[in-house]
Amino acid sequence: MMAVLGWLAGVALVAGLAMGFGVAPREVTQGNVQRIMYVHVPAVWVAYLAFAVGLTASIAYLARRRPGADRLAHAACEVGTVFLGINIVTGAIWGKPTWGTWWTWDARLTSVAVVFVMFLAYLLLRAAVEDRERGARYAAVLGIVAALNIPLVHFSVYWWRTLHQPPSLLKPGASTMPPVILAALLVNFAALALLGAYFVARRTRVLAAEEEVLA
Amino acid sequence: MPDNWGFVAAAYTLAAVILGGYWRMLVRKERALTALVRDDHTSRSRHPSRPGHPRPEPASRPPLP
Repeated sequence: MMAVLGWLAGVALVAGLAMGFGVAPREVTQGNVQRIMYVHVPAVWVAYLAFAVGLTASIAYLARRRPGADRLAHAACEVGTVFLGINIVTGAIWGKPTWGTWWTWDARLTSVAVVFVMFLAYLLLRAAVEDRERGARYAAVLGIVAALNIPLVHFSVYWWRTLHQPPSLLKPGASTMPPVILAALLVNFAALALLGAYFVARRTRVLAAEEEVLA
Repeated sequence: MPDNWGFVAAAYTLAAVILGGYWRMLVRKERALTALVRDDHTSRSRHPSRPGHPRPEPASRPPLP
């Protein structure tokens, strides 16, 4: 099952690259640098999804204290942090030729950096607390608090004046995006989502094996 | 606007390096754990556990003075 998921993700990634570089046209105002969006935007969507899974699993762990829920929360938050890191790095690379700067402390970038640092702290906390049950409990609370900041990241472009543009897709009303660019974005999202699911499944298995060795 | 292919290449390369690095880390961890579990099982089957101080059956115990 996991191998199938991995192969599916691999095939979807190839399809995503073909869509982003072969099918989608050169964007009129930004030029080819806009192609970075086919990894930048899907990466943050996958990170949001992973953190939502982490949030749900953390609540489930606090309610029932099942180790499986804790392992899922740990894996999902770790994978979400990896994808959020990709989002931040690719955004900075896109920002330099487009905005003229790698980074600016506007509301969107600052709030996303805060969430990223919170999830790094989550992973450090996991590694730092020796008592497994206590570490899981603290991490679940921090995971919930960190994930609750995601709406702040999303709506920051509406609530404050920012250099970052408002969302093109995750907003009320119809998309104004050309269908071919939208299709490229969605194929890349599907590819990264499959890869994210594969990573979460594999990380959960590794965590279970670690617990078995330590027991 | 210039095409900035260098920035596009840098973004995709860095994304690939991060994802590939994470995947490699998972594979290595899994391999190390599998080897550890296998070694543990092998050593247990070679040296089965024995009780340290076997107690005699009650009937064979000498009566107290």
